[in-house]
Amino acid sequence: MRSHRGKIRGPALVVAALVAAMALTLGLAACGGGGGGIEGGGEEAAETVKTEGQPSGSLTISNWPLYIDKGTVPAFENATGVSVKYIEDVNENAEFFGKLQPLLSRGESGGRSLFVVTDWMAAKMRELGYLQNLDKSGIPNVEANLSSSLRHPSFDPNREFSVPWQSGLGGLIVRTDLAPEVHSICDLFDPQYKGKVDLLSEVIETVPLVMACEGTAPDTASEADWMKAIDKIQGAVESGQIRRFTGNDYARDLTSGDAVAVIGWSGDAVQLQADNPDIEWRMPTEGCSLWSDNMVIPIGAPNPTAAEAWMNYVYDPKNQANIAEYVNYVTPVEGVKPILAKREPELANNQLIFPSKSFTKNCFTQPKLSAEELQNVTRAFDAVVNG
Amino acid sequence: MTTIRRRVIPYFLLGPGTIWLVVFFVVPLFYMARLSLESGVVGNLEFNWDWSNFGDSLSLYDTQFVRSFIYAGLATLIALLISYPLAYTIAFKAGRWRNALLFAVIAPFFTTYLIRTLAWETILSDQSPVVKALQFVGLVPENGHVLATGAAVIAGLTYNFLPFMVLPIYASLERIDERLIEAAKDLYASASAAFWKVTLPLSAPGIVAGTLLTFIPASGDYVNAQFLGSAGNQMIGNVIQSLYLKQSDYPAAAALSFVLMALIMVIVVIYIRFAGSEALMGEEAK
Amino acid sequence: MSGAGAEGSVARSWRWLREHTVNIVAALVVIYMLIPIAVIFFFSFNDPAGRYNFTWVGFTFQHWGNAFGIPELNSALLTSLKLALLATLISTAIGTLMALALVRHRFFGRRAANFLIVIPMATPEVVMGSALLSFFLIINTFSLGFQTLLIAHIMFCISFVVVVVRSRLIGFDRNLEEAAQDLGANPLQTFRLVTLPLIMPGIFGAAMLAFALSIDDFVISNFNSGTTVTFPLYIYGAAQRGIPVEVNVIAIILFGVTVAAMGFATWQQQRAEKMASVRPEQEATSAPARPARVPA
Repeated sequence: MRSHRGKIRGPALVVAALVAAMALTLGLAACGGGGGGIEGGGEEAAETVKTEGQPSGSLTISNWPLYIDKGTVPAFENATGVSVKYIEDVNENAEFFGKLQPLLSRGESGGRSLFVVTDWMAAKMRELGYLQNLDKSGIPNVEANLSSSLRHPSFDPNREFSVPWQSGLGGLIVRTDLAPEVHSICDLFDPQYKGKVDLLSEVIETVPLVMACEGTAPDTASEADWMKAIDKIQGAVESGQIRRFTGNDYARDLTSGDAVAVIGWSGDAVQLQADNPDIEWRMPTEGCSLWSDNMVIPIGAPNPTAAEAWMNYVYDPKNQANIAEYVNYVTPVEGVKPILAKREPELANNQLIFPSKSFTKNCFTQPKLSAEELQNVTRAFDAVVNG
Repeated sequence: MTTIRRRVIPYFLLGPGTIWLVVFFVVPLFYMARLSLESGVVGNLEFNWDWSNFGDSLSLYDTQFVRSFIYAGLATLIALLISYPLAYTIAFKAGRWRNALLFAVIAPFFTTYLIRTLAWETILSDQSPVVKALQFVGLVPENGHVLATGAAVIAGLTYNFLPFMVLPIYASLERIDERLIEAAKDLYASASAAFWKVTLPLSAPGIVAGTLLTFIPASGDYVNAQFLGSAGNQMIGNVIQSLYLKQSDYPAAAALSFVLMALIMVIVVIYIRFAGSEALMGEEAK
Repeated sequence: MSGAGAEGSVARSWRWLREHTVNIVAALVVIYMLIPIAVIFFFSFNDPAGRYNFTWVGFTFQHWGNAFGIPELNSALLTSLKLALLATLISTAIGTLMALALVRHRFFGRRAANFLIVIPMATPEVVMGSALLSFFLIINTFSLGFQTLLIAHIMFCISFVVVVVRSRLIGFDRNLEEAAQDLGANPLQTFRLVTLPLIMPGIFGAAMLAFALSIDDFVISNFNSGTTVTFPLYIYGAAQRGIPVEVNVIAIILFGVTVAAMGFATWQQQRAEKMASVRPEQEATSAPARPARVPA
């Protein structure tokens, strides 16, 4: 029978050594000072990109998955001689921010010269000083062709640091065969659909729409309004009304019929409809949320000249038409519709890809929140999502 | 071999591994410890011995903690009940098929965790034959669903950690000297008595190892809850991931991670004291 | 058994059932384990018009023909394979050395080392991943990407390698080594010519396990990958937008290649085992249960 002392001695040794090392590390750390990183640069004195001559070298871009057709990157490489490393690692704004924040706080971008994030994340990064201003002389196509409704968003009124990549509508996606009566966000809370409704898991995607259902205009809502809407959602979760919170994976639930109505994005609906004509995107009676995913140039970008060349390239309607044809979201570039009308008249007439002004008259852009308000509502919403 | 050389050799053998583990496992944990004592907003964290993160994490997330341990515990129990017969068959009755069966246990690992979990989403979706059969039998209510419930999460956990349960049990069963079982039978023990009194106790080390190797990672898992569960089924791993990657609240995430580890350690220590620790530490050579 | 003729067919089949219950349960478990693989296999032949591969639309071989046609998928797969290979080689080497030390030598700090090996296996991946990320960012020596992934993978594989090799070493018959030394071999030769070949199956098993863990790893990789995309990370990203059917194809190919590789390895192992008796007592008594061994 081995002695207990023997059994304890080994682990005890380890613990003792660990505690000693811990004291050392903590001591050094406390003395050395410094915590998570540099303080944000704030609104003043953001760096401006300086484009120098012709683009060259290599360019690393981070974008969302399946957000570009297969031909654009090679065509760009041919046209400019820049070699592109195109990575699809933006899965969720918050997650991407979480991965990048430690680098950005030190002035690095992990090699990326351009990435694509949604409006509110671009605003948040801007406030922390992580983005550079653009040199407008490098992007004449953007100046010429950017769609007028996107020229002056509230978070970047003069488009100083962001250029839309694609835009989209957030609204209802419905199984018309299983839930034909769903026409508004409020309908999602109807008990007859209990357990068959999905909501989006990012606070900015879901709560403004629910606020619209409550009758509050999201653009002017106070933090208290946000909290009220979050409480309503919490109640729906507890009663079993909401099946789950998803990213794009509501697509699976809709296809299998596990969910009959969800909050979802227009581009996905176009894809889903291809295999199942009973799936339809519907404009909620309260209005929809208009969002864009924006190209931004971070601080520490190794090749901003090439990044701007890329922005310029994709704002040529000929090139953009290829992207729009594949992606099926709302293109921010004017002049694309006539080009597509010749190739794919169905796409050109699709309100989800080329929405008319009357179609989107009730829609609202993503509301702007201060950093502290954003943190509070995010925390409250996450508490609901994480049960 | 000189005595000095002989005494020094083990340290050389151990060296690279120990250094690697200390530098890349132990030290990061300390940095995380430092992080857990900071506070502030992202981009502006200050180290100020802020112990509130620890207290907060226990009070704010007690539901998720309890839920995680319950789910992991149930998954471990079910895995044990399922795996033991399989391990037994492979060890004693498989003969030539032994290795083929062992592959069948490990091979699903090579299709990647996510694809397997997503496949379960298809298998357990409301209109699938599996769920319809369960409804027919009465295990699932008529309009009920399996996905987006705790049951689906537990099922996913069980499935994904089965190899961790099967292999240790198999390993310890395989080492049992069959003469002991024969001896029991010679002493008029029935087949089941021989099992309960000889085989099962001798396989205890494997059971202990298997349950620990299953329970521990399962408690910290978040993938299954994310894809197979709903808002009411999220585990502590989901909270940590959300704190870290969504809210960028690193101090809280770090504190929560330590609390999780500490709780797991407590459970493990109690369990090992109860079950005997040689199983985990391994027997030494004579 | 007396009165054999009195046993009805029902009783006989009942007895057959009871004798084979364990086997039946085991078979059911194996089926259970392979169901998702079957689903993945099934859907690899699907032919969806859109980007989502959730419901059956039609049958096609197109995606099998195009299995390696998606560049991002290919590069992610290659990255994962490279990573797994390197991580396996290094962690197996390091882990085997550690196992040798732990099993064969008594030295100060042995229990501590044992404990150190076990702790990583006891740590949830989300904790390890985030701790490593904090660490890498603070020391700023390695660039977030392949380097950090490799370091992380080696780290979590070592423990498993040690445990597997150690359990193999424990059953090892030292008499063989003594015999070799009696015949004039020095320690290094003994190790190279006697020990190593005999523990090779254990080492190989550990290597396979390490490879599986590395290629399958998602959580730790998610935190520490920088801009590098591994196969599981690619799938996670694609899951948000619609997983291409080719992913199913690749998953099945991986599965098939693994099964083939393991089959080959076992065949080799059986040959090796014939050449040396690893457990002489077991072999002698269980001869009736195992197929008769023909001397090589």
